[in-house]
Amino acid sequence: MRHLIALALFALSPQLALAQRDAKIPDPDPELERKTFTVAPGFEVTLWAADPLLAKPIQMNWDPQGRLWIASSEHYPQIKPGEKANDKIIVLEDTNGDGKADKTTVFADGLLIPTGLEPGDGGVYVANSTELVHLSASKPGGKADKKRVLLSGFGTEDTHHIIHTFRWGPDCRLYFNQSIYIHSHVETPSGVKRLNAGGIWKFNPDKTELDIFARGWVNAWGHAFDKYGQSLVTDGAGGEGINHAIPGGYYLTSQGPHAQRILHGMNPGSPKYCGLEVVSGRHFPDDWQGDVITNDFRGHRVCRFKLQDDGSTFAAREMTEVIKSNHPAFRPIDVKMGPDGALYIADWYNPIIQHGEVDFRDERRDKTHGRIWRVTAKNRDLVKPPKLVGATVPELLEQLKAPEQWTRQQAKRVLKEMDFLEVWPAVRNAISSTKGPLDEVYALELLWLGRALDDANPKGSSSTLSNLRSAVRAVPNQSANFRAATLRVHCDSGAVRDPKIGPGVHAVAARDENPRVRLEAVRALAQARSASAVESALGILDKPMDRVLDYALWLTVRELEPYWMPEFQKGKLTFGGDAKKLAFALNAVGNKDTVKPVLALIDGGKVPKENVHGLYLLLARIGGPEELSRVIGHSVRATASERNELLLAVEDAIRTRKVPAPKTPAALENVIVLDDAGRRPAMRAAGLWKATALSAKLHEIALKTTSSEDRRAALDGLFAMGTADETLNALLQPKATADQRRDALVALAGVNPPRAATLTAAFLADAQSDEALADLFTAFAIRKGGASLLAKELAGKKVPADVAKIGVKAARASGQPADDLIAALTKAGDLGAARKPPTDAEVKALAADAMKTGSAARGELVYRRKELQCLACHAIAGAGGAVGPDMSSIGASAQPDYLVDSLLLPSKAIKEGYNAIRVVTADEKVYQGVKVREADGKLTIRTAEDKELTFVTKDLIERGDSTKSLMPEGITDQLTKQEFADLVKFLSELGKVDGPYAPNKARLVRRYQAIDASPANLNLFRRTRVSAAAEADNPFAWLSAYSKVSGDLPLSELPKFTVWNDTAAQSVVRFQLDVTTAGAAKLKFNAVAGLTVYVGNQPIEPKAETVLDLKAGVQTVTVLIDRSKRADDLRVELDDVPNSPARVSVLNGK
Amino acid sequence: MLLSALALLVAADPAPKFELKDGDRVVWLGGTLVEREQRYGHWEAALLAAHADKKITFRNLGWSGDTVHGEARGRFDFNNAEKCFKQIVDQTVELKPTVIFVSYGTNESFEGKEGLPKFEKGLEKLLDALKPTNARVVLLSPVRFEKSASLPDPKPANARLALYRDAIKAVAAKRGHAFADAFEHVTPKDDTENGMHLTERGYEATAAQWLAALGVAPPTAPTGKLDALRKAVVAKNEQFFNKWRPQNETYLFGFRKHEQGRNAKEIAEFDPFIAKAEDEIAKLLKELK
Repeated sequence: MRHLIALALFALSPQLALAQRDAKIPDPDPELERKTFTVAPGFEVTLWAADPLLAKPIQMNWDPQGRLWIASSEHYPQIKPGEKANDKIIVLEDTNGDGKADKTTVFADGLLIPTGLEPGDGGVYVANSTELVHLSASKPGGKADKKRVLLSGFGTEDTHHIIHTFRWGPDCRLYFNQSIYIHSHVETPSGVKRLNAGGIWKFNPDKTELDIFARGWVNAWGHAFDKYGQSLVTDGAGGEGINHAIPGGYYLTSQGPHAQRILHGMNPGSPKYCGLEVVSGRHFPDDWQGDVITNDFRGHRVCRFKLQDDGSTFAAREMTEVIKSNHPAFRPIDVKMGPDGALYIADWYNPIIQHGEVDFRDERRDKTHGRIWRVTAKNRDLVKPPKLVGATVPELLEQLKAPEQWTRQQAKRVLKEMDFLEVWPAVRNAISSTKGPLDEVYALELLWLGRALDDANPKGSSSTLSNLRSAVRAVPNQSANFRAATLRVHCDSGAVRDPKIGPGVHAVAARDENPRVRLEAVRALAQARSASAVESALGILDKPMDRVLDYALWLTVRELEPYWMPEFQKGKLTFGGDAKKLAFALNAVGNKDTVKPVLALIDGGKVPKENVHGLYLLLARIGGPEELSRVIGHSVRATASERNELLLAVEDAIRTRKVPAPKTPAALENVIVLDDAGRRPAMRAAGLWKATALSAKLHEIALKTTSSEDRRAALDGLFAMGTADETLNALLQPKATADQRRDALVALAGVNPPRAATLTAAFLADAQSDEALADLFTAFAIRKGGASLLAKELAGKKVPADVAKIGVKAARASGQPADDLIAALTKAGDLGAARKPPTDAEVKALAADAMKTGSAARGELVYRRKELQCLACHAIAGAGGAVGPDMSSIGASAQPDYLVDSLLLPSKAIKEGYNAIRVVTADEKVYQGVKVREADGKLTIRTAEDKELTFVTKDLIERGDSTKSLMPEGITDQLTKQEFADLVKFLSELGKVDGPYAPNKARLVRRYQAIDASPANLNLFRRTRVSAAAEADNPFAWLSAYSKVSGDLPLSELPKFTVWNDTAAQSVVRFQLDVTTAGAAKLKFNAVAGLTVYVGNQPIEPKAETVLDLKAGVQTVTVLIDRSKRADDLRVELDDVPNSPARVSVLNGK
Repeated sequence: MLLSALALLVAADPAPKFELKDGDRVVWLGGTLVEREQRYGHWEAALLAAHADKKITFRNLGWSGDTVHGEARGRFDFNNAEKCFKQIVDQTVELKPTVIFVSYGTNESFEGKEGLPKFEKGLEKLLDALKPTNARVVLLSPVRFEKSASLPDPKPANARLALYRDAIKAVAAKRGHAFADAFEHVTPKDDTENGMHLTERGYEATAAQWLAALGVAPPTAPTGKLDALRKAVVAKNEQFFNKWRPQNETYLFGFRKHEQGRNAKEIAEFDPFIAKAEDEIAKLLKELK
């Protein structure tokens, strides 16, 4: 007999729970904390400063004197009524140079949760709630007594999202971030700047110029510039690792006019990272230069990534950690190189990090501790901290050649803050007295300095820069990174419109041999405000493209639309008669103005073959009735997958844009008779267009087909036509199959819920248990009032217990109020008493029990169970569904009681970015999902089934936030007490360093697809051969299969089949590699016995280390497994081949 | 014809004089200019001191970047014009004002002449929506911009602002509201951070000008006493700000209130602190009399 949790709850005493809670507060001795650190070989970590010198550091930044400024908050996350705001800006100093801070000064107090700071201009810039302020002291060395409010209007909807991550850019502009919940409206002399989500601001305090540098991210607390000024970004609540931020780009969760397409980070499936720094300088070994350091603050790790060029962007590869620890309060949140060339880590020191999810007043929140750790290389000299303040201008200019980025940047700041008339002649003198051409790094620093000094030049803007231009031009053998950087400086703030600069940039776009330079040119041209700029930008299509270039060009074309579209329509802009360029431009803009030119392009017949499908797809998105008719006609000749895509677009056009039927009936029948997926949208389109001439055909399909999807599409079409009665009656006959009856009822519930409810209650009485029945319950649950109708009909009736369970699960998963239906099903199925929500004490007790008796290994098996559906929604290391947060490091960040809470009461606390919204459509159907994007009046949500649904916002009759999690309640109800404890234990171990589920840097294949042993697949094998699975457009149905956290794919869980009676059992799996730069890479197999491997449709010989020569693009690797020859689980790892240019990653996901 | 003649007749009426009465509750709407005033308190303190014999309370609802449409107040509903507008109206009505200062036009003025019809329509819509309060409405013009490093040539901006000032004045005349011409009276001289936003000193230096715009005689009390009053005003404003625009609103009242909504009860705990601060102001005003 199973002991259900509900019964076991009362056996545990609340005292035990309290003991557990206390046990979570560690001994705060810094030395004990340090002893938990595993440090990268060749390095050591020492304590530089600790409480009481500082408490709760949120951000740190150095000043040119080598003092470390710290924003510190004890009020976080929320001030108490009656409390006087008293958060502080602290300055730490190592006055005697012994490698430890010995002096602390409170520079400012009375602040409310200062989340960012950057010293400069005689004081410090501080994020102070709704404002960005500059604080300074009238007495040197004194406390701040002057406050200037520079900007106001920043949102405060969430105190870990308010403006933060301050950083001087190489151009001496102040960059700072805000996060997803923040809505900012900032007045400047050039108008109000609004940003209603996350993004990076760029601010020039001298002129109150405020711009959005890049948009998006959930909570990006890391932004660093590499040696050449390229921006790298990490996200403290998103899982894409290191991001390369391009000017004006949109990233995860963006808001704004072009939010329908975004760029992604380089490491999908990563844990969340906070802080970011680029390693630079003589103290660190050569092979560390240019690497980036960030913090897995949940997993107690300081992480290192190696950056490599990858076309116009970078690839980032994780290396051995700088520090890893299992100390529950070690929270590395900021990282900066220091004046001595060492690496400094700010440790927020707190066992509690969740913000919304854990009570603001939870007593475990630490308010008093904080540490700064210092990482040094053993047996390597430190750098002598440079003397910058008080140095002469020539001395400072000399420091612009330093190998340390810290020194160059700080020297530049000092020069920027000096008198222009003192600095500028010295700069000119330094250039003219340099023998030979300037060094590249020096020239670039001078150029950045020139840009910063421009504002102070009494001769007016730009004259400083133009003086530097010739010196920069004379630098020989300019690297691509240098060319890209100088281009950005020259074009900054609309300077690309300067007739002296613009024409050169136009030419670069098409001509430069390096993709990163072309990328800069394309983005610079977006500010050119001219029609010719779009022609120049499109010039990059003549050279090889990559994903980021394609995005950059798309964005530039769209941003320039107001300038080129009118010219194009007047016939003045021809794109040189190049159909490919015109096709790109029209596709990017994709509005109704482009219908005619798109038709002309198609009719002209000059479009390259690979662009034709895209144009038809565009036509479906923007065209009227006749254009849709053409798309349908074309689709008959297209491949099956293209046809499906085109018909889905046609259906969407009819549904969302209300495109009426063409005068001459479209060739829908020709699509419908083809037996593939495209017939389904075609049948629904026929219905929406009331093409009653096709109703006989749809009737025939509905009755004859064995495919439920076909049947439902046919029914949907018939219902829309109003001619479904006959079909429905036929399908509801007692002699009809259960599938037919079920589908008929699903369709009926959509149009006539009362009748459907009566018939459904009768149907369920003797229904066989089948997971597909969930759709029938869902059909009622998503109708307003539908659940209640069915509940009433079920009163007094009996339903098989397993069927009732499916119904309860579906009703809960719908996220709609369905208590009466759940109660009715519980009764009809005799399921026993409904569960009660657990009390706090019960939650604590369960958590304590899990820690004591749970087994993580058994728990992983529970997590992988199909009926629990964990993996369908929650990925681990990027493999799995995207409905809920990735679980990779949940154990390192969440307390066990929070895990228990989340399993039993999913709606109690929901991670940001995963809150569901609820919409009601005009036909009174209710949908719930997480917002994916909203642009152009369309809203896209991701449902609990991981499906994306798009709605026209103005057609919605209701829209609001759902307080329900997408995670259904009661998922764990059927687990035994031990299974539940095992599951909690497993989750609590995820991401803990040195444990069996520690984060793993190896690029393991974690998401496979397997061929199911279904009769349809078996028939296909008999008609063809097993190796047909490796063909690109193969007809098999594939199911996702995920490796364990270790990377092993358990063979025992794989579907296996015997094609012919006397042959060996087989399994077939495949995975994808994303190749962004072509070249050699290798796959490491744990064992090759029984494996036959194909890359694309080419067989290759599997070895323990198999070197592949990969072409750019997504490559599929198919593995046939002879089960008679193999007992080992399958483990595949991707690795580099030394000196290969290839950039490859494993595609994970759902 | 008849209608427009009637409109002219109304417009010809002299604008009503601005006056504060005992017991008045003034709610002040606007953008950064209004929002920052609460941190410095010079204008509010001057107006209180000029009416030291009356009990008057101020509630500053300034919000940076705001317009007559409530654009800055929408938060998660920023894309929904109706909900933005509802915010500005609800926030005002909830405070039961007897007088409403309406300071808009600066942010809208960047739209230039083309934006005028939208602004006028929006302003009238706002005034219509505020009618149920029965409050006396005072329309304030924008304050002019001055030359600064951030704004080397303020002329084009001031020309636009003048257009919006005229529009506000016309709406005030048409509807019979008092109009305070701050554009004419308040002239910052080296008193702004960036050409458009007054510094603390700027508020202090222009307090008398601002009263003149309202047609109020400046207070006669000595500066030292006024400063104590001003500090009390700032302290009250801080408590009120923490109440009506608390941090973490997402969790306290927004779509994640099911998580931290239990802490929303703390917000009501600000009320006694606000009341105490009001008592302090009243005490200081008594000493001024």
